[in-house]
Amino acid sequence: MNASLALLPPLPVAGPLAVAGLLLVFGHMLPRRVPDAIAILAAIAAGVVCVLMATHTVQAPLTYWFGGWTPRHGLPIGIAFVVYPPGAWLGAFIALLFVATLLFAWGYYDEVQAHFHVLMLLFMTGMIGFCLTHDLFNLFVWFELMSVSAFALTGYALRTDALEGALNFTVINTIGSYLILGGLGLIYIEVGALDFSALAHGVNAMPGSPVIAASFALMASGLLIKGAQVPFHFWLADAHAVAPSPVSVIFSGAMVSIGLYGIVILTWSVFGGSPPVQHLVHTLLLGLGAASAAVGGVMALMQRHIKRLLAFSTISHAGILLVGVALLDRDGLSGMLVYLIGHGLVKGALFMIAGIMLATLGGIDEIGLRGKGRPIWPAGLVMGFAGLMLAGLPIGLMDTGMERIGLALRSGHELIVRFAVVMGMVCTGAAVLRVTGRVFLGWGSVAGEEERSPTNAEREKADRPLWLMLVPTTLLVGLSLLGSHDADRIGWRAASVLMQPDHDAVLGLAGPHPASIPAWTKVPGSWLPWLATMLALGLAVLELTWHKLPRRVGTSYDRAIGPVLAVLRAVHSGSVGDYVTWVVVGLAAMGVTFALI
Amino acid sequence: MMAMLERVQSLLPWAVAAWLLGIGLYAILTSRHYVHLIGCLSVVQASTYVLLLAAGYRHNARAPIFYTHAPSVAVDPVVQALVLTDIVIGATVTALLLALVLQLHKRRGTLDPEKLRPMRS
Repeated sequence: MNASLALLPPLPVAGPLAVAGLLLVFGHMLPRRVPDAIAILAAIAAGVVCVLMATHTVQAPLTYWFGGWTPRHGLPIGIAFVVYPPGAWLGAFIALLFVATLLFAWGYYDEVQAHFHVLMLLFMTGMIGFCLTHDLFNLFVWFELMSVSAFALTGYALRTDALEGALNFTVINTIGSYLILGGLGLIYIEVGALDFSALAHGVNAMPGSPVIAASFALMASGLLIKGAQVPFHFWLADAHAVAPSPVSVIFSGAMVSIGLYGIVILTWSVFGGSPPVQHLVHTLLLGLGAASAAVGGVMALMQRHIKRLLAFSTISHAGILLVGVALLDRDGLSGMLVYLIGHGLVKGALFMIAGIMLATLGGIDEIGLRGKGRPIWPAGLVMGFAGLMLAGLPIGLMDTGMERIGLALRSGHELIVRFAVVMGMVCTGAAVLRVTGRVFLGWGSVAGEEERSPTNAEREKADRPLWLMLVPTTLLVGLSLLGSHDADRIGWRAASVLMQPDHDAVLGLAGPHPASIPAWTKVPGSWLPWLATMLALGLAVLELTWHKLPRRVGTSYDRAIGPVLAVLRAVHSGSVGDYVTWVVVGLAAMGVTFALI
Repeated sequence: MMAMLERVQSLLPWAVAAWLLGIGLYAILTSRHYVHLIGCLSVVQASTYVLLLAAGYRHNARAPIFYTHAPSVAVDPVVQALVLTDIVIGATVTALLLALVLQLHKRRGTLDPEKLRPMRS
């Protein structure tokens, strides 16, 4: 292999870290807008390195042992970055999302010097490091770097709502971090290693160990908190709704799905040889994913605060991602990886539109903004289109991923999971389309269920030109439409690499090489996306015109659905104590599932 | 008798870690003051310290410092490094949380988690 390529792996984290440090020290001496430009350049550089690595690791991974501490006799004594195409492409995607977000936030934070950029660069570094590392404790450290910068960015605006949301976010996610650390300690006790490959060998040697199962349960719970899965998801709506909109772009576009990528790594790279763990993933995690898809969808439809609505739609789509992982199937995982990127681009664009509303319309309340969106109609076009894509419009990356996941679901799985996935797509799509119709077309003069949901009066810095905010928004939506055929092939290969990691090669052992990757085949077309899109359109129109229906229909609908919605609303209480109770419930569910195996 | 005592002794750290996790979570979910709650979060974290240190402990072993002593049986240095990192992370999070709480107290005049529900006041 080319010698200079072998030096690439640490660069996408070392570079932004160094730039962040320099910006922190010298940022106040620089003229306005220079920190913006430096941060954008650093993100672009990190992205370019990730793309280079992704395209040069198709045959064999790039392994970089920090400090030259290579394994001795198959025993890892150092910490490695092992770069495969899946991790490298994810890193590139994260960098891209940061470039777009930093462009979007150009001039957003004039008064606070470069601190915003420092935090954003640290945030990006944490996520990229998480995708490249090959050591469990190192993974935890990147996870923590990502979390702490996210906590600080949420409360950054120092408004009351933002501080309260940041507190909920910090407390719940910190508990998640400690759960991960506890699980990490348990597996270290049992196996005595932290490198993924050494761990995988250890797990293979004692597949039935209860300590190993407990370790997975703890770590998975921590990652499911970050990945916002029912019943660990409560913090997300509070945090995403109150964070500054550029920060919410990253939260929904990348942070949540990175948590789920962690589940992928654990399931395949570390615990691949443990039947109890595989069983847990295939039963409980599949169920949690389906539940998140459904609950997130219904909750999204009930919101009036647009960022909160988008936050619930993220929970729903994260649920779909978890279903893709938990199917334990090549098609499912391949689709999940593509869907992750497609959803990240589309949801990022939607949060940018929310940011445009905050900046130009001076509000974020759907009912309050009815008909006020006409002057910024291009944003409405993008929003409507993005809503259709959430619903499953058969175009672009989201659809490519969904078709693959659908293929895995078709091969003999419970109808209820399929139903929950479609329900999530239809409800979230309808919710976004309803907002578009109400804000940009002035429809829906009488509000329904959403009127009872929490909202606030916030606004964001107003003097930014509309085009500057629209360019990154359309860029993200445009990118989500490109290259779906290639993405499907790359996803297929990436899923195969993730499912059959070559542990012996990493440790420098001469073992049998993993089986070759099965040939890629095209997904047969399906009518389901069209049905979901039509249903979402229909539901959105119904939501906007329900007051024109005969009164009798409305009351019987209320009587049937009302109690369910009331319970859902009551459960999302905003109280941190309640949320911790739910975390404990989720942990107990993990324990019970293991006990039943 | 001795065997049983040793068994109890070897299980003790795990029991302490589990107890700290449980009592910490219970205290967080019943807490009525954010500063108290942050303290409880540190209790949860303490359970990870105990777990990791117990994982590396060996009876009658030295500290893992070899340049002043001849190599001999030592406790596991890896977990000690992990605990050090853990402490740094804990300090960062606690400091950040206290800063948030301080700002919130200036604006709302209360630190009761039940009264500080985002977007519901």
